[in-house]
Amino acid sequence: MSVVPRVLVLPILFSLLAACGLPRDPEKTSDRIASTHDLRVGVSDSPPWTVSRGGQPSGAEPDLVRGFAEQIGAHVVWRRGSESNLIRALEEHQLDLVIGGFDKKTQWSATAGLSQPFAKDADGKQHVLLAAPGENRLILSLDRFLAEQKRQPS
Amino acid sequence: MRGVPAKPEAEQALKTAHRLAWISIAYMFSTIAMLFFVMSGSQALKTEMTGEFLSLIPPVLFLVGDRFTRREPNERYPYGYERAVSAGFIGAAVALLGVGAFLLFDGAMKLVAREHPTIGGFELFGHTIWTGWLGIAVLVWSGLPAFFIGRAKRRVAEILHDKTLAADAEINAADWQSASAAVVGLIGVALGFWWADALAAVLISGEIIRSGWAELRSALGDIADRKPQAILSKEDEPVPELLTQFLREQPWVDDVIVRVRERGREFTADAHVVPATEKGLVDAITETARHARKIDPRLADIVIAPVRKFPPDVEKARTPS
Repeated sequence: MSVVPRVLVLPILFSLLAACGLPRDPEKTSDRIASTHDLRVGVSDSPPWTVSRGGQPSGAEPDLVRGFAEQIGAHVVWRRGSESNLIRALEEHQLDLVIGGFDKKTQWSATAGLSQPFAKDADGKQHVLLAAPGENRLILSLDRFLAEQKRQPS
Repeated sequence: MRGVPAKPEAEQALKTAHRLAWISIAYMFSTIAMLFFVMSGSQALKTEMTGEFLSLIPPVLFLVGDRFTRREPNERYPYGYERAVSAGFIGAAVALLGVGAFLLFDGAMKLVAREHPTIGGFELFGHTIWTGWLGIAVLVWSGLPAFFIGRAKRRVAEILHDKTLAADAEINAADWQSASAAVVGLIGVALGFWWADALAAVLISGEIIRSGWAELRSALGDIADRKPQAILSKEDEPVPELLTQFLREQPWVDDVIVRVRERGREFTADAHVVPATEKGLVDAITETARHARKIDPRLADIVIAPVRKFPPDVEKARTPS
């Protein structure tokens, strides 16, 4: 039992650092979301993960995004578009997240920020959400949310 | 012992050098494994790996070079295998230069492209923590011992006059410097300065490139049989002058031109001598060569050639460069 506290030393230290608000977003995305309560999400149709035709986007990914938005106290502003246009907007920090059935090996891995994988499909592909590159606080909160979801799938 | 300078402490130094090389290799594999584990998905930590892989080259070259250099000469390799260390030195110098060039290029590209390093969360014991903090832990793990290992290597490199080992020590210095730069960079990124990581790499690369270039020049000079250079300071060794002086003082010697070259860890000298008298010349040469070897423990081989007149090319050895 005496091992347990030692194992917890690092997580506790890192939680303290997180409490200081580190890491920060270079482009202050998290601060902006906290003040405007807008989470701007690009949607590219990619059934079954993201179905964007018709009214509200549906599928596993839009559901995750809604859950995340709720957790950080924001509402989702959806934007539909082609994959490359959405990625460009993400790069220029006009969007916060982009969804559309991306996996870990996506061609955008160098231009966009990748979340931790939230699911594995039948081909063994690890599915991820894309986030504004370098906005590390946003990505860390997203990763925390995804990890919670994995632990207690709804 | 063959292939090491004739010093009493050389044998012990060689053992220490072997141990240090193996420690380095084991250590770098542990760092590479940890980085690989931690960096999943984080592009920013990926560049650290390249430096680690390049740092593996010199200790391996040292171990391989050491195996060869101590082999006995044979019909096919009549001069022995001492140059294996010189060859390893070139490889180690290129690796060092490579580390510096890579840091500069990679950092500069990131700055030009305004690339914001994305570093997300990492699952550890059921907590999601920022990968950057783990990255810092790994960098401290890899950088701190490199400092001490490098210093220890410099000491034995000087005893053994082993330049592969000296360049390896420089790589360890580059390792802890670039690791500290990366730690500062990651802290900068945590504070929201996306350029901190790349800028730190660029700033540290200058010193590493400078030292890599100096080592490479020295390595190529050795191959070209330049006058011997001190291993760390890169200043001219006094051995050629000492040997000339010694030979001049011999009563049977009228004039002498000494040429000394480095062959791996050892020096080889040839001396063209215009004798003052030809009486008892063979005995005089044998005795003189035997005593001259005591001038420096690295002087493994001295050839004394009596001539009536210096050959023209040998005479040019007196021309200032």
